Amino acid sequence: MKLLSRIISAVLVLCALGILVFGPRANQSIPADRRGDVVVEYWEKWVGPEADGIQQIVSDFNDTVGRQKHIYVQCMSMSNITQKTLTAIAGGMPPDVAGLWHDVVLQFAALDAVEPLEKMAADHGITADSYKPVYWNACHYNGHLYALVSTPGAVALFYNTRLFHENADKLRRAGLDPDRPPRTLEELDRYAAALNTFVVDSHGRRHLDQAGYLPMEPGWYITNTPIWFGTDVWEENAGRFVFTDPRVVRACQWIQGYSLRLGAEAVNEFTSQSDIKGGFATPQNAFIAGKVVMEQQGPWMANYIHHLRPQMDHDWAAAPFPSAVAQQDVTFCPFDALMIPKGAKHKREAFEFIAYVNRQDVMEKLCKLHCKNSPLARVSDDFLHHHPNPYIGVFEELARSPNAHGPIQCPIAQEAGSQFQAAIQGLVSAGRAMQPAEAMALLEQDMQAKWESYLQEQRIRREKQ
Amino acid sequence: MLRTRAQSGDFLKGLAFLSPWLIGFCVFLLLPIGLSLYYSLCDYSLLQPPIFRGLSNYRQLVHDRLFWQVLKNSLLYAAMALPAGLVVSLALALLLNQKVPGQSVFRTIIFIPSLVPTIAAAALWLWLLNQKSGLINLLLGMIGIPGPGWLTSPRWVLPALALMSLWSVGNTVIIYLAGLQDVPRELYEAAELDGANAWRKFRHVTLPMISPVIFFNLVIAIIGVLQVFDAPYLMTAGGPNHASYFFTYYLYDCGFTYLKMGYASAMAWIQLLIVLVLTGLAFLSSRWWVFYQGK
Repeated sequence: MKLLSRIISAVLVLCALGILVFGPRANQSIPADRRGDVVVEYWEKWVGPEADGIQQIVSDFNDTVGRQKHIYVQCMSMSNITQKTLTAIAGGMPPDVAGLWHDVVLQFAALDAVEPLEKMAADHGITADSYKPVYWNACHYNGHLYALVSTPGAVALFYNTRLFHENADKLRRAGLDPDRPPRTLEELDRYAAALNTFVVDSHGRRHLDQAGYLPMEPGWYITNTPIWFGTDVWEENAGRFVFTDPRVVRACQWIQGYSLRLGAEAVNEFTSQSDIKGGFATPQNAFIAGKVVMEQQGPWMANYIHHLRPQMDHDWAAAPFPSAVAQQDVTFCPFDALMIPKGAKHKREAFEFIAYVNRQDVMEKLCKLHCKNSPLARVSDDFLHHHPNPYIGVFEELARSPNAHGPIQCPIAQEAGSQFQAAIQGLVSAGRAMQPAEAMALLEQDMQAKWESYLQEQRIRREKQ
Repeated sequence: MLRTRAQSGDFLKGLAFLSPWLIGFCVFLLLPIGLSLYYSLCDYSLLQPPIFRGLSNYRQLVHDRLFWQVLKNSLLYAAMALPAGLVVSLALALLLNQKVPGQSVFRTIIFIPSLVPTIAAAALWLWLLNQKSGLINLLLGMIGIPGPGWLTSPRWVLPALALMSLWSVGNTVIIYLAGLQDVPRELYEAAELDGANAWRKFRHVTLPMISPVIFFNLVIAIIGVLQVFDAPYLMTAGGPNHASYFFTYYLYDCGFTYLKMGYASAMAWIQLLIVLVLTGLAFLSSRWWVFYQGK
């Protein structure tokens, strides 16, 4: 027994020694000649090919500016980054740079969880003039700059030119031109109707086989639909939600119209395919597979088409998404944000990296790698002519447009967005059983109550401080 | 009372050996529980210091339409998944208790799904329940029944998730099996001598004898079923139209997406209260239907 316990103790001690000698080391991945540099910890939300693009930029920085200024950026890409950053900030151990989605910029800024950047930005010559207004404004809250953009997007209409030509007769019979995209929303509906195809199964049931257009496929920007009807769901000056605005209600009626015309069951059945086939980044992507002829997407779609189905490279085109009102180049502009969390240890060095990313040449390289437009006001000819998306000019123009919309400037936008999305789902799946005006009235009542509760909390917080 | 020096020494030694668990329990369980009770009375976002607001979060919850919807969804789901789980697992245990060739193979087959991670099970069930090309609708189609949109129809999503919950009854089956094997053979022999058929033996011998096991499984299921989160999170994102948005999912969103940790804490305490009430009711009712051999 004594011998056995000695053997067990010896094994445990050996294991412990092994871990001490061969176990992980802090900063092990930092090259030996950079160990004296300031290490900037950078958490990035992208994984996969986009993360590789970011890593290229990080390596470029480390080999150039970083080497000169003795800064070494260590990039770690991860999923669920918002929750991880949130708990790291709360725990007092945040990264120096957080690469997050646009929808948390305002939320984090309103909670004083990120550093204001305007002074450091001005010191590096980054001002409002450097940026396209839509992105610059979206990075601000209460007059302070809280983020800068890593890569942005602008939403446009992608359409399958091959399917347009294959259905040229059908389109002409409907009085439509197969050689151009729709220019108004009414025209989009007519193109969509002409391009729908159905199959009948052995029981005589009709199924939607190819959709001309479906607002819910992929539906990423479905809650931004009101902007193509001339409004947003948040009235910034008045500080209130306007879900009952007739233009928002019309937008919902338009979305619901698709499920009323095609049948809620048929639409649900059709969109349910995306859930099981791996979704967006697979060759079964409904647009790439030719199951949806037109869809709302950002410039990056060109990269996915090229990598997933290269034979489709010349079978598509992009154009501004048509508007229901007399406005040109209406778009929604999402973006990836770089922020410095409160409590970061190396703010100055972190901003050196952010400023590097915002240099025109670096930004253009990164945006080409991610197949996106640039957030910067100036773009080079090389960027426009050698971009992987041949329609990058369309996206650049859209992002410059006075009708380009950023995320709504409300700290509880995330909650409002989720509730709006659910309400739209309800309208789509319930058919005529639910009226958009009623659904929006309920939503406005709920969200306004939540907004007032948020305001009251902030008032009490200010008083206690 | 510790009367001697030796006893005090033993007590201290005991505490020292217990300390890793004791410290872990206090730091990672007791303290968070206490803090969550305090935060439920505060406005707290994780990123700013909490501000005491009394019962404000609880009052807001009463007026939150979504709160009532998620509560209704969770209770409806529980009403479907809980009895279905108990009945199916008992039926499977009864089958697996039969002395047939390959008994251990069947037992293994029933238990294996419990070892599959939820993410893998969710991906599998997304296929099975797919409206257009899912196996379930394909089989229904063969007998002329048009299968519903299991995960896309607000009417069918809860039954679909309840159906999916049966996938992981393996653990419950094992507990039932242990209970079934504990039923004394002589009771069956006595019943047979009295002329009892299979149903009467099950009704009057098996059920009463395994009633403590049923009770145990019921309590565990009440606790588990009201905390369902992973399957709807992975498969439906709470949709369509919040039809599969459950209590724990909304709690998570409030805490980690909307950064309303005080509100989420209040929800957690209400959830605990609901679980306590239901478990209490189960305990109260147990005096009429649970029989212990020793009594």
